[in-house]
Amino acid sequence: MTATVAETRVPPWHRRPELVGVGMVLVLGLGAVALAAGWVPDALEPIVAGLLLALVIGVIVVAITGSGDVRRKLAPYGLLQPGFLWLSLFFLAPLWVLFVMSLSTKESRFDPSPTFSWDFSNYTEAFTDFRPQFSRGFGYAAAATVLCIVIGYPMAYVIAFRGGRWKNLLLGMVVVPFFTSYLIRTLAWQTLLADEGPIVGVFDATGFSSVLEFLGVMDNGRLLNTPWAVIGGLTYNFLPFMLLPIYVSLEKIDLRLVDAAKDLYSTAGRAFRKVVLPLSLPGVFAGSLLTFIPAAGDFVNAQFLGGPNTYMIGNSIQNQFLVQNDYPLAAAMAFVLMFIITVAVVIYTRVLGTEDIA
Amino acid sequence: MATKRTTPRSISRRGFLYGSGLLGAAAVIGGSSLLAACGGDDDDSSDATAGGGSGGGSKLVFDNWPEYIDGETVDAFREATGIDFQYLEAYNDNNEYFAKVFPVLSKGERIAADIVAPTFWMAARWISLDWAQKLPLDKVPNAKNLRDDLVNPTWDPTGEYTLPWQTGITGIAYNLKATGRELTSVADLFDPEFKGRIGMLTEMRDTIGLILLSEGKDPSTLETYDDAASAFDKLDKAVSDGQIRAFTGNDYIDDLVSGNFAANIAWSGDVLQLSKENPDIRFVFPEEGAMSWADSMLLVKGSEAADAAAKWMDFVYDPANAARITAEAQYVSPVKGVRDELVKMGGEAAELAESPLLFPDAATLANLRSFANLSEEVEAEYDAKFAEITGA
Repeated sequence: MTATVAETRVPPWHRRPELVGVGMVLVLGLGAVALAAGWVPDALEPIVAGLLLALVIGVIVVAITGSGDVRRKLAPYGLLQPGFLWLSLFFLAPLWVLFVMSLSTKESRFDPSPTFSWDFSNYTEAFTDFRPQFSRGFGYAAAATVLCIVIGYPMAYVIAFRGGRWKNLLLGMVVVPFFTSYLIRTLAWQTLLADEGPIVGVFDATGFSSVLEFLGVMDNGRLLNTPWAVIGGLTYNFLPFMLLPIYVSLEKIDLRLVDAAKDLYSTAGRAFRKVVLPLSLPGVFAGSLLTFIPAAGDFVNAQFLGGPNTYMIGNSIQNQFLVQNDYPLAAAMAFVLMFIITVAVVIYTRVLGTEDIA
Repeated sequence: MATKRTTPRSISRRGFLYGSGLLGAAAVIGGSSLLAACGGDDDDSSDATAGGGSGGGSKLVFDNWPEYIDGETVDAFREATGIDFQYLEAYNDNNEYFAKVFPVLSKGERIAADIVAPTFWMAARWISLDWAQKLPLDKVPNAKNLRDDLVNPTWDPTGEYTLPWQTGITGIAYNLKATGRELTSVADLFDPEFKGRIGMLTEMRDTIGLILLSEGKDPSTLETYDDAASAFDKLDKAVSDGQIRAFTGNDYIDDLVSGNFAANIAWSGDVLQLSKENPDIRFVFPEEGAMSWADSMLLVKGSEAADAAAKWMDFVYDPANAARITAEAQYVSPVKGVRDELVKMGGEAAELAESPLLFPDAATLANLRSFANLSEEVEAEYDAKFAEITGA
């Protein structure tokens, strides 16, 4: 009898705390998007913000007045809240604004607020007019990613397995150059690759430049302002993002597994192929994503190491935003870029996904 | 997008300038939206974001190009007038600065700067967008010292909105060691001998203007795209032939000195500096004619510091002050009487008074053209075509 009375006295929000939690997360997320994306008229913004704050306080009150069980059930949602709010404010809302912009039309060149009009011509224009820049962007990024693996994997391997007490020092040497600004490192390559610079000088003196010229890497005696300079710059700038994940995955491999393989009459090469390489693939996978995705949208390397025939899609988007002031077209291009990267990553995950190995 | 017209006193500073430009621009945006949000401020801190409150004209913020002034003038002005004057090197690129203030000014809100330094064509855009306010010229008596050819210019036909800060000439720079011969004309830039070693400017008006001159056309009378189509076609062909190595801003200095560029389109002030240190670096007024340009001082709409701005403009239009700026920046001063003042200063400054790049002779002046004032639609067409050719 007393039990049922207590049961009926429990207010609804204490009976299903998980619903309260889900509700809070969703409403706050939606509210944050609404505020940031400008759905709410300016005058009502303080009111909406106040309501959202009241909601948080309400849920806290529910948690305080409720039993330990209620608090336990609410806790995960409370912990989820900051991250979800962050995503709503700084990812979902901007993405929405970008999406609306990409389907808008401008009345004049300097129209401050393009009107939303389902204008798909921005997308067709992005696809048709910027095809070379898109293919260069993805081509260079893919080449840089492969080069990063080729250079980064052996380095990570040596540091992880042969580094001994120098391990930290060696890792430091990989990372320390990156304490300098991205821009300055790229500008430094301009000096290194210059026609009268040290690298071309050595190549000329050793006759290696005629080989490179034959291979199409050098163009008319120059390295700078060629596609390979851009790819080289990307490779250099993103190498640590490849090397460090590979290092981490190599470092945690139990070397006794290799010993076991050798006990079973495996050669060193076979042990590497069958044991070490598969176990390190998650690092290669993570490193490839960390390298490819930012490299595909990069514009700094093409700007300073390339020329008019090597600009990447990042340069075009920057030009549309800053010079042409065509926000709708730039937004559409950014969306296409994101879309292609997403598709590429999904395919990559399906083909090379490493979930069952890791 | 690169920076433009910084004098190459120390090239290694350039990277720093990019960074500080971004920071400065961020400060402009951040500061302006803060100001917009909370109205005026009476906080007396001296950082960039706090500038331009409603201090009744006792505060003044000027966003100018980097390395465009001497070390004394700003302090002298502060002392003479008691105005809390902030001279910031926050104007690094016409298009970038425009893109950054666009969302603020187009909403009718104000930015932190009271005076900005857009290049002439950009000044015309600010005026046409109603982002400028008329200068209180009655409070600038020294405005009478404005060079005669700059009175009522095409970009500001009534002369009410801008006073030029500095002007300059776009011509050809070359590295004698790399070319092996003296260059005289724009046509030399298209000589197959220099394939892949020619630089041109990302400033559309300078590059297209010079090419038009080389075709015997007048860039100051353009009206439609067709008027300049031949120059765009010529440039397009040169790019696809690999004749042109890169389009740069002010960073052509590095390429020219290192020999990456045999020759390029260049701004006179930059090269004047370089040729002093390296006699192989030469600047020529092409025989077909050269382009002239001006960076202006423009009073931003919404600024409440019009009186202080007038005092500043009056100050720098005093020939003695203007000469000090010229001695350092080494561009063509818009102020009459600078030459005499330079002679009075003696030493290196007096040598500058003899420089044909700072004080061109009558024949050169007659060959100078400034780019036509384009309508909004035509300008968009030019910009789009130029972007397409330059690869972006």
